Amino acid sequence: MSTVSSKDLADRMSKRLANFKLSDAAIKGLADRVVIDGLSIGKFNPCIYGICIDYFTDKWPKLDFKHHHGITKWEVFPYGIIDWDRFRVRVAFQVDGIQEGINGGGGF
Amino acid sequence: MMRSGFLPDRIIHLHPTRLCNLACLHCYSESGLREKAALDPVVLGDALALLRAEGYQVISLSGGEPLVYKPLRNVVERARDLGYRITMVTNGLLATARMDATLELLDGMAVSFDGLATTHDHIRGRVGAFAQASAAVARLAAQGRPVAAAISLTRDALPELPELADHLVALGARALQIRPVAMAGRARTMAGFASYTATDLARLYLVALALREELADQAKVHCDLAPAQGLWQQGEAYTGLLGSCDVLPYHHRPLADLVNPLVITDTGALKPIAYDFHDRFTIAHIDGLTTDGIMHYKQHGLAAYQALIGNALAGLQPRTDLVDWFDHCTRTSEQVALGRATA
Repeated sequence: MSTVSSKDLADRMSKRLANFKLSDAAIKGLADRVVIDGLSIGKFNPCIYGICIDYFTDKWPKLDFKHHHGITKWEVFPYGIIDWDRFRVRVAFQVDGIQEGINGGGGF
Repeated sequence: MMRSGFLPDRIIHLHPTRLCNLACLHCYSESGLREKAALDPVVLGDALALLRAEGYQVISLSGGEPLVYKPLRNVVERARDLGYRITMVTNGLLATARMDATLELLDGMAVSFDGLATTHDHIRGRVGAFAQASAAVARLAAQGRPVAAAISLTRDALPELPELADHLVALGARALQIRPVAMAGRARTMAGFASYTATDLARLYLVALALREELADQAKVHCDLAPAQGLWQQGEAYTGLLGSCDVLPYHHRPLADLVNPLVITDTGALKPIAYDFHDRFTIAHIDGLTTDGIMHYKQHGLAAYQALIGNALAGLQPRTDLVDWFDHCTRTSEQVALGRATA
């Protein structure tokens, strides 16, 4: 089995999302999860969990993920002395189907 | 300076004519070759002077095709003298060297696209339209001008977006403005037009987010869709219109603090937000526009618009989907006019 690099995934992320082969359920699930109250979306990248999204906020993040199924990991990075009122929140989402086809299984 | 809605600047969308060298299947203003009417440049210039004093900073030219508007150069020169920054959305077919003297006066241009060549040419009704629009982007970029692409996508063209974005960035486009085709004008009767579902909009939004990452070093990517909750939390952007204890009475505020963007249609009507915003909310007409006339609107006509925007904002609170805010407000204006919603 060939190794899939982050670059491979990043190059194909937009096409993978745009193609209607990725089910509506997967799209809806991801969209539901990325719209988290009070956080603006920064980076948006594929990762080993599926998709990792960085958010930025100027308040200490109150993250309630009870209703956001599929979140596999999240971290908060206070900017500290660089900017006391800025926090970066990284959330990793599991997305079914996002990696299908990468290894010759129906890619495009 | 206080924000005026969700836009970074106070903008006039100017449609000086609906005359167009194309007649696109989805055109929201239903422009085409038969639409000969055009605004009088002197009347328009006087109105722009008054609106500059009302706080507007940027003119975004559209149409119709703005490059077929004969007095375009005179209007652009007058607007520049008034201190406006000026941008234009064009189909690109006439953005040739012959127009350079006018194009040089612009602060930015966006060439419109609907998909890859087959889709674009079909919607534009012209074989070769995609190639010509692409050539315009490449030519303007080679001249070092800030050129962008305005991408309107039907639902069925969504899978073409990544390849289209790559194509446009390779030509030299510095920014991509992405939006779903609005259900307005000819799009309402466009054969085979499939409306976006909420999930389709989510898909478009996610693709735009991914493109923003993939093209981060080459172009800015902007999508007109936004999470309803994000907009709801930025509701203070409308403090100038909807009021707080800290703001001046409305009639003492410049119009640009209250209505942004402002649209000037090819008939000279001043409307809030969009070309097809319902006529019931028309502010005034450029013919005979006066400071007193604008004051009269602030004192007597503004309330209905305030109610519409206030209700539209309040309607975002329980929503968790994605919204094209200006299109949402425009559709709400239709519903209000038909008595199906409150304002």
